[in-house]
Amino acid sequence: QEFQFGPCRVEGVVLQKLWQAFWAVKDIVQAQDNITSVQLLRKEVLQNVPETESCHLIHALLRFYVNTVFKSYRDKAVEFGILKSFSILANNFFVIVSKLQASQEKMFSTRKTARRRFLLFHRAFKQLDREAAVTKAFGEMDILLSWMEKFYQL
Amino acid sequence: HIAEDTSDLLQHVKFQSSNFENILTWDGRPESAPDAVYSVQYKTYGEGEWLEKEGCQRITRKSCNLTVETGNLTELYYARVTATDGTGRSATKTTDRFNSLQHTIIKPPDVTCIPKVRSIQMIVHPSYTPIRARNGHQLTLENIFQGLLYRLKLRINHTYQMDLEGKQREFEFVGLTPDTEFLGTIMICIPNLFKESAPYVCQVKTLPDRTWT
Repeated sequence: QEFQFGPCRVEGVVLQKLWQAFWAVKDIVQAQDNITSVQLLRKEVLQNVPETESCHLIHALLRFYVNTVFKSYRDKAVEFGILKSFSILANNFFVIVSKLQASQEKMFSTRKTARRRFLLFHRAFKQLDREAAVTKAFGEMDILLSWMEKFYQL
Repeated sequence: HIAEDTSDLLQHVKFQSSNFENILTWDGRPESAPDAVYSVQYKTYGEGEWLEKEGCQRITRKSCNLTVETGNLTELYYARVTATDGTGRSATKTTDRFNSLQHTIIKPPDVTCIPKVRSIQMIVHPSYTPIRARNGHQLTLENIFQGLLYRLKLRINHTYQMDLEGKQREFEFVGLTPDTEFLGTIMICIPNLFKESAPYVCQVKTLPDRTWT
């Protein structure tokens, strides 16, 4: 079981566990997001991503989730009583980011286009109120997991 | 101004999806609002506009088929219902965010069980869905879920059971006793999405062995 994001390989993460953790909290989290007219991880960010760009993009997205979304959402996770699922997701994302760190540094050619996609996401995030943006990003993890699944080999 | 409580007009607005047929359902207390009518809207998550569902405006039934409107497997959707009673009281409720790939329940497969003298053959028929490919072809569950497989069990007696599993559609349990009753169950499994259908059950009797008669 491993992820293969273009040239970047990540072993030791069980995708089903992430799905299980998210599904356990999905309705609670998404019910807090009342802005139904904005999708942060929209088509322009994740659709038709060439394999060569996938490593940069996933690294940028997951690093943002680890450093910003999870950091800011932890208190809410405690408040809603979903800390267990939250921790499973946060810890596994941290593992993936760490393992991606080494391999994606060697590649410079595809960074620009992957960066542009990430900035689309980041700009939409910045346009929202901070707390609303964090809640929305956490609630869109199923979109992220669905995209990651394409690079996952059982 | 005290907001009037209209929660009795409308409850449990949700999608019920099986094999990608997506039905919006809701409840309302008939005794408090016998003359209530309901109107349905839907939208794609991330878009601004709510769209009216034709055929589900000012209806009295408590369900609405949104299979076509919510048929894109990569999109997420919302739907909402507005209930209005005879006195003009109204209430609106919205579903959770819905994606049919994640939410649909898998129905039991359709199977033909063929008894022979010392074996039982099981042929699983394709499960068609309302989802169509770009070329218009109707997709089956196998087309949609790459990891789909079939899990078969044959109960021999109280203690002994045979198991088969695979992605093919034809299976055969062999080495059985002639002229004996067996209970077979067949399920569709999609391991990576934790989806499993209810079992299709077939009760069959192997044929008598007439070779020496």
